[in-house]
Amino acid sequence: MKDPTGRVFDALADPNRRYVLEALASRETATATELAAELPVTRQAVAKHLVALNEAGLVERRREGRETLYQLTPAPLGAAMDWMAGVGAEWDARLAALRKHLRNRRS
Amino acid sequence: MEVTREIVFPASPDEVWEALTDPEQLEEWFANDVELDAREGGDGVFRWDDGEVRRAKVLVVEPGERLVLDWDDEGEVEFTLEEVEEGTRLLVRESTLEFSTALELRAQALAYVGRPHGRSPCGLYAAPPSRRLR
Repeated sequence: MKDPTGRVFDALADPNRRYVLEALASRETATATELAAELPVTRQAVAKHLVALNEAGLVERRREGRETLYQLTPAPLGAAMDWMAGVGAEWDARLAALRKHLRNRRS
Repeated sequence: MEVTREIVFPASPDEVWEALTDPEQLEEWFANDVELDAREGGDGVFRWDDGEVRRAKVLVVEPGERLVLDWDDEGEVEFTLEEVEEGTRLLVRESTLEFSTALELRAQALAYVGRPHGRSPCGLYAAPPSRRLR
């Protein structure tokens, strides 16, 4: 389970980035300045986290006049489905191998 | 969120437990090269021939009954064993905090569409997280 799943995990692994996501989740769109006003971090730090979240596909940005607006994307859902399918398939294969292993030890 | 699998093996709980915790046996079905100190707080390293390496910390050991490993990259895996008439029922549950977080946030965002200045009714991170944050 590597990209893009891995990138979503990496992006969510940082507690500060999760705070940024939480702040963003409570509104439709927000600017880095608005988010920084709600969080105990600087605007520069928020902007840096937004870039990382954008690269991971978790937030999208668009220009409106002189402002850059950020919004959550549905990407985590797709990545989560990929994770479930991938991990499920891995366990199906491992448990089949374990069944065979246990049978071999008995015979 | 989590993935679960349940399977019944025609083997005793002790036999299944050994297959889950003995590195030599794990190399027969789980990974190509295994180091595992199956004690609480012990370390595990799992290597596959394609170059993949995963590391884990042993969180819970209840011999013959329950084993929990915490992957250092993502999530944790819990094995629960139960003796049944046909042998042993094994329940595997692999879960991840990160995606749960992502999905909760998404659900919260959807609930607030149309209320751009609405505030979250409860802080998701108001309480300390139940497990370590990376």
